[in-house]
Order: sequence, then C-alpha cells, then structure tokens
Amino acid sequence: MLVHLANVLLSGVFHASILFLVAAGLQVVFGVQRIFNLACGSFYALGAYVGVSFVQASVQAGLPPGLFVLALVAGGLCVAVVGPVVERGLLRFVYDRDETFQLLLTFAVVLMLEDVIRMLWGTSPLSTGGLYLLYGQLKVLGVTVPVYNLIVIGASLLIALLIGYMLARTKFGRIIRAAADNREMSEALGVDMRRVYVRVFTLGTLLGTVGGALVIPATAAMTEMGIELIVEAFAVVVIGGLGSMRGAFVGALVVGVLRSIAISTYPELEMLLIYLIVIAVLVLKPRGLFGGAAA
Amino acid sequence: MILRARGLRRYFGEFCALDGVSLEIREGEFVSVVGPNGAGKSTLINVLTGLLKPNAGRVFFKEREITGLGPVKLCRLGMARSFQLVHIFPELTVLEFLKVAVVSRLGRGGRLFSSLARDREVHGQALEVAELFGLAEKQTTPAKHLPQGDKKLLDVASAFALQPQIILLDEPTSGVSTREKHTIMDILVSASKRIGIKSIIQVEHDMDIVFGYSDRIIALHQGKLLAEGTPDAIKANEVVVNTVVGKKEWARRA
Amino acid sequence: MRRAGLALVVALILAMPFVAGDYYVTLMLPFFAYSVILLGLNLLFGYTGLLSFGHALFIGVGAYAAAFLTSKFGVMHLEAILLAAAGAAVLIAAPIGGLCVRYVKIYFAMLTLAFGMLFHSFLLKFYFVTGGDEGMRVLQPFLLGFDLSQIPKVRFLTRPFYYYSVVVLAVATFVMWRIVSSPFGLCLRAIRDNPDKAQSLGVSVKRYRWYAFVISAAYAAVGGALLGPTTGQVDPNLAYWTHSGNIVFMMLLGGFANFFGPLVGALVFIFLQDTVMSIVPYWRLVFGAILALIVIAAPGGLMGLLDRRAVSWGEKSRQGGAPP
Repeated sequence: MLVHLANVLLSGVFHASILFLVAAGLQVVFGVQRIFNLACGSFYALGAYVGVSFVQASVQAGLPPGLFVLALVAGGLCVAVVGPVVERGLLRFVYDRDETFQLLLTFAVVLMLEDVIRMLWGTSPLSTGGLYLLYGQLKVLGVTVPVYNLIVIGASLLIALLIGYMLARTKFGRIIRAAADNREMSEALGVDMRRVYVRVFTLGTLLGTVGGALVIPATAAMTEMGIELIVEAFAVVVIGGLGSMRGAFVGALVVGVLRSIAISTYPELEMLLIYLIVIAVLVLKPRGLFGGAAA
Repeated sequence: MILRARGLRRYFGEFCALDGVSLEIREGEFVSVVGPNGAGKSTLINVLTGLLKPNAGRVFFKEREITGLGPVKLCRLGMARSFQLVHIFPELTVLEFLKVAVVSRLGRGGRLFSSLARDREVHGQALEVAELFGLAEKQTTPAKHLPQGDKKLLDVASAFALQPQIILLDEPTSGVSTREKHTIMDILVSASKRIGIKSIIQVEHDMDIVFGYSDRIIALHQGKLLAEGTPDAIKANEVVVNTVVGKKEWARRA
Repeated sequence: MRRAGLALVVALILAMPFVAGDYYVTLMLPFFAYSVILLGLNLLFGYTGLLSFGHALFIGVGAYAAAFLTSKFGVMHLEAILLAAAGAAVLIAAPIGGLCVRYVKIYFAMLTLAFGMLFHSFLLKFYFVTGGDEGMRVLQPFLLGFDLSQIPKVRFLTRPFYYYSVVVLAVATFVMWRIVSSPFGLCLRAIRDNPDKAQSLGVSVKRYRWYAFVISAAYAAVGGALLGPTTGQVDPNLAYWTHSGNIVFMMLLGGFANFFGPLVGALVFIFLQDTVMSIVPYWRLVFGAILALIVIAAPGGLMGLLDRRAVSWGEKSRQGGAPP
C-alpha cells in the first residue's frame, strides 16, 4: 500500500516538474505582457521533437550516449529561438489590442506550429529509444524509480530556484516585477519595454522548449502533445493564480499529483477532477491561490 | 424629503473616504456638492447611487430605505446618475444610445423578439431627449465620432432619458470650456423642467457654476461635512472659502 | 441592394444540388450546421462582447444528443432531435452560464474553456456511456416523419437532408435577426460597449449576458445535432478546445461586426480547408497564417474589408477584465 502510494506520488511529482516548466513560461509572459499564450504547449512539443533530433544526432556523431541529457538541454535551448521570432514577427503588432485578439493570435501560432512539426518530423511518434533507463534505476521507499526521473525533478527544482533568484536579486528580475506591476510607470522610468518583451517572451519560450526536451526520454513525441499539455498548464496557472511563479509551482504539484492519484484509483476521473478544481478555483477565488503578485 | 442619508461611512482599505456624512435633499432642490480633491465627493455620489456599498450609515429615497440596493434597482425607483469621466457606448449611434435608456425605463429590455425599429414609443421618446439636448441632428452619428463636448452631453442626456425623480451628476461639465459650461448648465436646467425631474445633485468644481445655479451647497472636506447652506451663506463662510475655493482664487474673482 | 444580394444567395443555395457535383453539395452540409452554431456564438461575442473558448461543449451536447436518441433510444424524428438538443443545451448552459457571466474577457474565456474540457474528458473517459474516443453512431434520421432509409445515403444527404438543413438555417437566421434587432439586442450591444454605463441606465447586465449565453448554447447544440447525420458518427473531438478555437476562427474570418459575417467565415473556412487539403496536407499552417493576418491586419474579417466602418472594435477596449 505504502509502496503503491510512493509510486503514485513520484510519478505525479515527475509530471509536475515538467508541468511547472511550461506553466512558468506561461506565467512570466502573462505577468509582464498580459498575454495568455496558448502556444506555450506548442513550444513544449517543439522542444520535444528537437530534443529527439539532437539526441539522435549526438549519438550518430559518436558522442557517448550518457551525455544525452546535455544534448536534450542543448536542443531545448536552441529551439527557443522561435520565441523572439514569434514575438517580433506577430505579437508585437497586437499589444494595444483587446486581450481576446491576443489570445486568438497565439491560437494561430498553435495551428502553425502543429503543422510545422508534421512537416519536419512526420506524424508517427518518435522516441529516444532505450536511453531512458540508461542511468539505471534507484530504489526509493521500496519503489524503483528511473534515475532519469530524479534528474528531471532536480533540474526543474533548480530552474525554479534560479527563476526565484533572478526575480528577487537581478536587475532583469526587478524590471520584470516592475513591468508586471505597472507598465506605464516602468516605461516612464526609462525601461525599454520593447527589449523587456523580447527577453521575457524568449524566457517563456525557453522554459517550454526545455520542458519538452526533458520529458521526451520518458515518453514519445507526438504531434498532439502540445495542445494536450497546454490545457493542463492552463489548469496549473488557474489553480496557482495567473502571473504568479509560486502559483505555478504549487499548481503544478496539485495537478501532477492529483492526476497521478486519479489515474491509479479512478482512471475515468483523470482530467475531469482537475477541471472541476479549476472551475471551483475560478468561481471561488478567481485570482487563484497565489494571485496578484508577479513573483 | 426625496433623498436622505445618515452617517455614511466608506473606507478604501485604511483610508476613510467618507466619514459620517448625513444629508437631506428636498423636492425641487438643485444642490451642489463642493470640496477640494479627495474630499469624498465622488464617493458620496457612488454610495448614494448604489455603485458602492457604505461600510456604515443608511440611505433613504422617499422614506424607503435603499442602502445596499444596486444601480439597476435604484434606476427602477427613479434615481439616475452620470459619471465624472465620460461613459459612452462607442459603437451605438446617438439615437440608439438614448434608446437604451428609454427601453430600460419602459422595462422592454427583456423583449427578445419584438422589433425595436417599429417601436414608435421608444423612438419618439429618445428623439425628444435628443432634441432637448440639441443632439437631434447627429442622431445617426456613432457616439465615438462625436466631439468631446457632445460625448459628455450625450452621457448626461441618457441619464435624463430615464426620466428620474432625482438625478446625481458627477461633474457634468468637466473637460468642457468655460463658455460651454453655461450652455450645458442651461440645457440641463431646462431639460430637467421639461422632463419633470424633481431634484438635482451635482458635484462641481467651477464656483461660478455652483453659485449661479444652486439652491443649496454642501461642502465636504476630508470625508466630513464642512458646511451647508445657500450660496450667499457659503460665500460668507470663511472656512469654506478658504478650504474649498482658496483665498487667492477668491481674491482674484473679487 | 442588400435584399437583392440576399435573394441571390438564397437562390444559389436552393439551386446548388441541381447544378453542382455531389461532393460540393455535401460540403454545404457542415456549412449549414456551422452557420447555425456561429449565429449563436456571434450573439455572445459580436453583440455581447464575451469570447467563449468552450463553445464546442454545446456542439458536443447537440451531436451526442442526436447520437443517443437515434442509436440508443430509437427516436428518429429529426424535429424531435433538434428540439431535444436545444433543450439539453439550455439545461446545461443555464447553470454554467450563471457562473461564467460573472466574469468578462480572459476570465470568461478561461472558465468556458475549463467547462468545455470538463465535458470533453467526460466524453472521453466515461466510454461505457459515450463510447470513449470511438464515439457513437448517428443513424439516418426521419425528416418530417418520413423514413427515407430506402434512398441511397448520398442521395439522402444531397437532396432531402440538404433542403432540411437549409430550412433549419433559414429559421435560425430569421429568429437571430429578430433577436439582434429587438430592444434586448440593443441592450446587449450597450453591455458590450460599456457595462458600467449600461448598468447605470438600469440594464441588468449579468441577467442579459446570461440570456445571451443560454441562447447561443441552444444554437450551438442545434448546429451540433445537424453535424451528426452527415458523417454518421460523433466523437469527443467535437468538444475539444481546438474545435472551440476553430469556430472562433470562422467567426473572425468572416467578421464578427457584421450579422452575416460569421456565415461567410464558415463558408470560406470549409471550402478553403477542402481546397488546401487537396493540395498539401498542412491546412493548419495555411490557416494559422490566415488567422494571424486577420488578427493583425483586418480584425473586422472579410466583411470588415468590404465594410470599413466596422473595424475599430478590436482596439484596446475600455473596461478592466479583472474579476471583482
């Protein structure tokens, strides 16, 4: 029983750590630019596919397979270049528009990226083969966990800490917080919002693509993975509170673990339960558990 | 007594915007509320019209308690208002704009399938108000294309179209040139007579307007009632003159 | 002029089964269904200012109502099915709408999205009721009491069912036209433009938004029920969030500021999708680019390009979107 519970919890936390990355990308963009970026899920999918390609390339190039994590991260970082392309090429034209139009523009990006993935990688699922268990498995609380899962959980925690440090201690972090609080004020104080937007959106994209790259050894890359994940990330940010990093962290844990529990007890309830919570939060506490603050 | 308020208190966080204000408005009165910025004038209007709920105190409209009733219900009872900042329906034409008020007053907003264009009653009444306010010629112009002064006039006109018994105007002439102010005030006074509005409460900064049109003046300062009385009594009240008008300004005028 | 144009369009639609090939005639069937759906969606967005990102929920309600009634309960009369679909949607939309209309803008969009996905996961996971991702079969319904099962399927679709759909769309259009030109319709536009001002004029903002929500849900369900018989199959993707996105896309493509704009959008969407897919498999790439172009350069859609007056509503609007 205990073993079962630990198993469920660990797989939930693994899923949560990926969800956190994508949700954090969603949050930072919403916090500063006030745009709910549906394309976050597509960046995640893109990161996954590029991750697979980078791993395959590195193995072919004769690099030791043990370094595949580095190849994944490199892939995730490289493909984040779509961020500034989308921001400069599309989003910057609609900053003064109604937010429903901004939402629709990100939906347009979702549509386009889905087919870009189909064009480049085809429609059949891709995976990194047996690399997932390359680092072996570990016995924790009587449960066997792939070491890779622990690496991902650790990496996600590290990224969370880095984001927290960046927001609290660096100049860029202060600018982000100021811009989230009051756009006009920051502009009046001489902050170049154009540059801030590019950098914030790139950061948001990067969190998504790295998340996608990291998840891929544990699963397979599929064309629908982006549109499926975005609704989970959506649940995370609503539960946590739009724009809040702490909210993304807690929300990801809630969604990841609850989903994992539901799958192991009443599989019918899987996402049903999550959406019920989302609705309850929106109705009872629309700003979410940690709403209001940008950090 | 058409409107009566007792001990109104309203906080915004720690800040007490309205600190125990009581007032009485009689039928047929034109009352101006004056005071420096932050005195609580707009808060008073918002509390009286149900947009804000008071933290303490009670409001009575024709001896019926209305504390906590929302704007929609107060509208039904015969109370209307306009806002300090211009509030318009940008995409509606002038006539459509006024029709919203007429439809609402006649309780026809729930008619889903009847034709608005064929409703002569609504059309006639909206046109009448447009004529009273000198907007009839622009009846097919979308509100967003009107000049600023006309936007303000239309905003106020729509409140008049509700044919209320009492109307509360939050700076009806703000953002309008001094010369236009008198034109607007004359329109308001004559329109209120034609429509049968019993009492008017207005918030106003321009003391010429205040002294020129009011029967009675209520002066607020830091959320409290500073003084009230006829224009002559207020003119003679040095405390009010000092806090509300400012000595220099007064000297310049005199 | 306007009447002549409308008459011409109606004449073309009525003549189509006799002049066009069966393939194009059957493509018109989803157009009729989506037109009904979009008339309702635009009452909510174009007239009331609320963007639903979960309207596929009600399409799903209508489509599954048709599937349940025909294949589980043996109710074959399409009139009864359409009424039942609308009724079911009203029952479901009344409480959902009551919650959703307390919010506007992005919060409204998110809450509707969450309800839509809730229904989608119900359809997907409760497979013993709904057939899961396999979906359910929709049997060929009776039209006006006539069992037409002896007619070949294609013939059924391109003649009796085609004209039946035309009539349903005509009735739906006429009723919606009455609604938007009623005093109620005027109040909705006032609420869209400035809810605070509307409220100060005595308009019950939340109640009217709620009416609009329920009406638009009923429209979506009727349209959803019309979608079923063409393919003979319904599945949970009908209620998926991307489907909600696609119908919003159609609405914007045609132009939400014009009464007939969304219908033009549906027509262009369906035929363009068919054309693009016959050339390359990547219709989403093309359509995503089109949507981006519309949002950035022509928020008034195709009808807005014809009618320049209507465009400015897409500009940053005047009210805050945060909930209380």
